[in-house]
Amino acid sequence: MKLATTLKDVQATASRCLRDARCTYGSWPENHILCPIYWHEPSFTFSGGGYLFLVLALLDKKIDFNQSTADFAFSCASCMACDSNCNLIRCHAPYVGILDIIRLLRGEAVKRGFVPEGTAKKMYDKVKKTGDYGQASSLKLPDKISSDKADTVVFAECAHTKAQKDISEAAVRLLEKIGSPVSQFAEKGCCGSTLYDFGFWEQLEPLAKANWEKMKGLKDKNFVFINPHCQEFVVKRYPEILPDYSSINNQHFSQFLADAFKSGKLKSQKADKVKVSYHDPCYLGRGLKIYDAPREVLSSLDGVELVEMQRNRENSFCCGARVLGNYVPNLSKDTARERIKEFKATGADLLITACAYCKDNFQKVMPGKDKTKVKDLIEFVDGRT
Amino acid sequence: MAKPNRDGRKTVCRELRESIGAEKVRDDEITLVTYGRVRHGFDFMWPFRKPSLVVFPETREDVVETLKIANRYKFPITSVGTAPIMLGTTEGGIILDQRRRDRVMEINTDSGYAVIEPGVSFDKLTSALRGTGFKCSVGTMPGPGTILGQALGRGSQSFTTRYLNVILDLEVVLPNGTVFSTGSSHFDNVGSHLRYGPYPDLAGLYTCGYGAMGVITKAAIRIHPVNEASKIHFAGFNNYSDAIDYVKDLINNNIPEHTFIWNWHMYLTWPLAPSDMETVMPQILESEIKKPPEGTPYNMVSSLLSGYKEQVEVYENICAKVAQKYHGRVFSEEEMEKRFPATMAGFRQQYGDFHYRESVHWSKGRFVGWYVFAEPKDMKEIEKFAVNEFEKFGKTINPVNYYSHPFDFGRSILLRISGFPDPSDTELRGKIAKKFNEMYDVALKKYRAVPIRPIGSKRAGTYMVVLRSIKKALDPNNILNRDSGLFEEGEL
Repeated sequence: MKLATTLKDVQATASRCLRDARCTYGSWPENHILCPIYWHEPSFTFSGGGYLFLVLALLDKKIDFNQSTADFAFSCASCMACDSNCNLIRCHAPYVGILDIIRLLRGEAVKRGFVPEGTAKKMYDKVKKTGDYGQASSLKLPDKISSDKADTVVFAECAHTKAQKDISEAAVRLLEKIGSPVSQFAEKGCCGSTLYDFGFWEQLEPLAKANWEKMKGLKDKNFVFINPHCQEFVVKRYPEILPDYSSINNQHFSQFLADAFKSGKLKSQKADKVKVSYHDPCYLGRGLKIYDAPREVLSSLDGVELVEMQRNRENSFCCGARVLGNYVPNLSKDTARERIKEFKATGADLLITACAYCKDNFQKVMPGKDKTKVKDLIEFVDGRT
Repeated sequence: MAKPNRDGRKTVCRELRESIGAEKVRDDEITLVTYGRVRHGFDFMWPFRKPSLVVFPETREDVVETLKIANRYKFPITSVGTAPIMLGTTEGGIILDQRRRDRVMEINTDSGYAVIEPGVSFDKLTSALRGTGFKCSVGTMPGPGTILGQALGRGSQSFTTRYLNVILDLEVVLPNGTVFSTGSSHFDNVGSHLRYGPYPDLAGLYTCGYGAMGVITKAAIRIHPVNEASKIHFAGFNNYSDAIDYVKDLINNNIPEHTFIWNWHMYLTWPLAPSDMETVMPQILESEIKKPPEGTPYNMVSSLLSGYKEQVEVYENICAKVAQKYHGRVFSEEEMEKRFPATMAGFRQQYGDFHYRESVHWSKGRFVGWYVFAEPKDMKEIEKFAVNEFEKFGKTINPVNYYSHPFDFGRSILLRISGFPDPSDTELRGKIAKKFNEMYDVALKKYRAVPIRPIGSKRAGTYMVVLRSIKKALDPNNILNRDSGLFEEGEL
C-alpha cells in the first residue's frame, strides 16, 4: 500500500464489507476462529469488518479520533487471518487488504498524536527522538565462511526482541556447520516492518530508502532472512513504497536449512526421541506462504516426531505478540495462552516456532520451568546437528 | 415513539449487567458506532442509528431476561445475526447479537432435521453434517452467514425447488418472556419433525417477520439425505423463456432435486477466485448484458440429479432430451470445466461438498437487488422487463447478475437480479432505489409479481392491518424491531 494512501481512498472498498464474518474464521470444513481479537470478544466490532466499519464511521463523522480509537486500532494482532479468508476487500481498487486498512487507521491515529501507552508509546517516543527503531547488529561470522563475494547474503536484522540474540548466534553456528561462503547485510536501522505495522509512517520512508540504497548493490545475490517480519516487509512492501526497487532473490532461513539437508551439507546427529509441534508464525505462513520448509527441516532431524496442532498452516492461530493496544485487556497474553493450550493438547514435548516475536510471547506466559519448551527452529536444529 | 432517554439507558444497562453478566453487555462508543448501520453492512444509503447497548446472549435465559428488562422499560430491541440483514436498528435501542449462541444441538438423520441455535452459520452446519449422510440447503450468502438470518427472510437456498422454506420449527421468546415453539416440538418430548400441528402454523408469522413479532432462540431446519449418486447437469439456452419451459418440464416430471437458471454474467462471476478478478471480471465489466459472446449461452440451467446410480443415468438422458425440446444445448462437465472453471468449482462445492464456494462472493460485494416471485408465464415477461431496466443504468453497474428458480415444484418462480454500482456513489444508488420502487409497482400491477422483501406497508393493504393487530397483541410496547423491516419507521 502506498504510504500516501488515505482513509478516504479506502472508503469505497471498505464499504463493500458484507458483515459476514468471513474475516474471522478459517477455511471450511474446520471453520476455526483465527482472528485473536474476535476469539477473545466474539462481536462484529472485534473483527476485520468491525475495523472497516470504524473507518467508515470516522469518515462519516459518527465518531472522532481519540485515544480509544488508537487503542482499538493497535489491539489487532496483525496476523493476516482476515486477509487470508475474505477475498472481497482486496480484490477492488485500491487493492489493499483489511490489515492494510487497519494499519492506515493506526497511521491516522499516530498523526493525530494518539498512541497507546506501553510498548507502542515507548517505540513512538524512540522513533520521534532518533528517527529510527533499530539496533543494527552484525552477525559474528567466522572467517572461514565469511566472504564478501559469496552468493548468499544473510540479512542481519536489528534486534527488537529478547529472543533474537540467541537465534542469531545459533544461525551463525549453523552457517559454520554448513560451511558454504556467506556474507551479511547489516541493516542501516530498522527495515521498516515494525514502523509500517504500527503506523509510524513518517519515519519509515527514509529508513527503507537508506536500507535499499545499501541493498541494491547486492540485489543479484540470494538474501537469507532470519526474521519473517523483515522478509515479508522487504519483499512485499518495498516494491510499493520505493520507486526504484527491483526484486531480490530471497529465502527464509528454514528454506536455506531445508536445502542444506537435501544437499547433504547439514546432517542430523543421532539424538533422543522427541515429539514437537510446529507453530506457523503469521508472517512466515500467511505472509510469505512458507509452510513446508520448516516441516521438511524437522523431518530431517533424527528422532523428531512432528505432531500438528489443531490450527496449523494457513489456519494457524497467532501468538499475540503484535498486540500493542489496550482496548481488550490481556489480549496479547491470552492469545499466547490459548495457543499454548492447543500445543499442550498435542502431547508434544517442545513448541517450535520460526519467529523471535512468537518465541518471546510464548515464553512470557509459560511458567518458569516450562519456558525451555519453546524453541526457535534455528536453535532446535543447531542443537541436533 | 421517542428515543430512549439517557437515564433510562443507564438503568437498563445496569439491570442487564446484573441480570445476565457484565461481559455480555457492551456500551463502549466503538461498539455502538460499528453496530449503528447493520442493515446490509455499513451502507451510507441507510440511516445511521446508534444503539445504546449491544447485548451478546449466551443462553436462551439471557434472551428472556434481556427481553423482559427491555419490555419493562419500553426499550427498543433488534435481534441480529451475522451477514447482511433486512432490518434497521433503532436509535438508542438495544441490539441483541446472538452470534455466541452457535451450537448445533441435534442432527436427526431418522426424520431429517437439524436443531440449531440462531448463531449457527452455513459453514458450521455443513461441517457438522459431514459423514452423517445428510446435507443442508446452502444459501446465496457466504458460508459464515447465519442460516436463520437467511431462512427467516425466506431466502433462496439450494433445495427450495421442492420446498418454500427450510424451517420446520422455531422457538420464540416474546417481549413478556413467554417462550414457545411453533411446531411439533411444542409438545413435551416430541421432536421437530413436523411444521404443522393441530393449530395454525405460527412459524409463518416469524418468516419475513424480521424480528418484529418475537426473538427466535432455536430452530429446526430441514436436512436432506445424500443419495448414492448425484450429478450436476448443465444446459445452455439463448433465451430465458426456453429456460423456464425446460425447468418447468423437468420439475413437473420430478427429475431434479434442485434447479437454477443463471444469466451469463452471474454464472461467470459469482464463484470467481481472486485471481479471476483480473482476467474474467474486466471483460464482464465491459460487456452488454443482452449480448453474450458467441458460444456463451445467455442462460445456463444447472440441475442437481440425485438418487440411485441407475436413476441418475436415466435422469441425465431425460434432461438432454428435454433440453433439445426447448432449443437448449447440453454442456458436459468436461466442457464446463474447460470453459468455465470457476463456475464448475462453485458447483462442485455447492453440490459435491454441499457448502458455499469461498470465492469473491457475489463478485463485487455490496449489490443492489430486485427480487420478485411470479407465475411462470408472467416471469418470462418480467425477466425481459427487468433486464431492460437494468440495461438503462449502463455498464457502470455491471455485472448484472440474476438467478431464477422454481419454488414449490414450479408453482412460483423467483427472479433475483442485482447490479453492482460503486458502493460510495450514493447519487447513482439513489436513482436505482427510486427506479426499483417504480419497477415493483409495474411488476405487481402489470405482471402479477409479488415482491419477496417488504416494500412498504402502504402497498400491503388489509394484510398489514391484520399484521399490526397481531403485533399489538404480541408486542404491546412495540419494542421489537421498531424501525424498518416489516413495518416502517416505528409505525404500529
